[in-house]
Amino acid sequence: MVGEVVNFGNWLQNTSWALAIATSDWAYPFVQATHFTGLSLWIGTSVAVDLSLLGVGNRRQPPSRLSDALFLWNWIGFAIAIAGGFLLFSVSAATYLVNAAFLTKLGLLIPLAVILHVAVQKRVRGWGQMPAMPAVAKLAGLAELLLWLSVATAAVSIPYLA
Amino acid sequence: MFLHLGRLLQNNSFIVTINEVPVTAAALEIIHYFSMFLVVGPTAMVDLRVLGAADRHHPVAELAERFFPWVWVALAFNALSGFLMFAGNAVAYIPESTFHAKMLVTLLAIIFTLAVQRGVPKWDRSPSMPATAKIVAIISVLLWIGAILAGVEVPALSGIG
Repeated sequence: MVGEVVNFGNWLQNTSWALAIATSDWAYPFVQATHFTGLSLWIGTSVAVDLSLLGVGNRRQPPSRLSDALFLWNWIGFAIAIAGGFLLFSVSAATYLVNAAFLTKLGLLIPLAVILHVAVQKRVRGWGQMPAMPAVAKLAGLAELLLWLSVATAAVSIPYLA
Repeated sequence: MFLHLGRLLQNNSFIVTINEVPVTAAALEIIHYFSMFLVVGPTAMVDLRVLGAADRHHPVAELAERFFPWVWVALAFNALSGFLMFAGNAVAYIPESTFHAKMLVTLLAIIFTLAVQRGVPKWDRSPSMPATAKIVAIISVLLWIGAILAGVEVPALSGIG
């Protein structure tokens, strides 16, 4: 199993596009910048809704209205972040696939955070119709915020564990 | 003179410790990245709204009034964590032209963001979005993307960081 995963990593990092990024002088930072631009949109708009669930900012504008306003660019940001992230991964896939911080980030923290994010997006309108923001809404907002912070922590830890 | 100051900064025991202990060094990076997302994402959303590409059915002020207070709070965290990382390697960063470029582009992005924040109440009163507003907004978005690109080019081109 581990052997197959490493074989897949070796195949991926020897594909023509991965080699092109790895050997170019300018491509790698451009791909990094793409990843961070996507993350700014994705994390910036996701955390905005989390903070509004927690009651931070203008309370007259309900979180559901904010969530609707940000929805399109939220997912555009996600798509850009994933595309950039996949290209960064493919440059040294075999190394990433045996890195504990990377595996925790991709295999555990990101799936959990995305599932919670989708759940928040689906529930936010219902929460907005209640007379007061229910405790579960605040808890969900806080949990999503902390999960994205833990994703950033795992990401920053990758080189420390390499 | 700047290099002399940089050397003093870089040899300060607090600066040395915070940049050398793995937990605090990683914490600085996490704060720097996360606060950057909270600056650039919400700012870009206001710019996209001015450009007519988001939340068209509500006034610009609705997003702007919610976002700008925490954009500036996030920017303060970003600047502080950035300064502490800069201080840890100040002698290398001070003469580095890619670092100068990053600081210049970021400063310009902040100036255009301030222009958007100041312009929003006026732009909301006008029957259609003025051309000036759209020009300022698109420059703001492009400058923030430029600041991110300049940020990743510093280690890529100089090897510092």
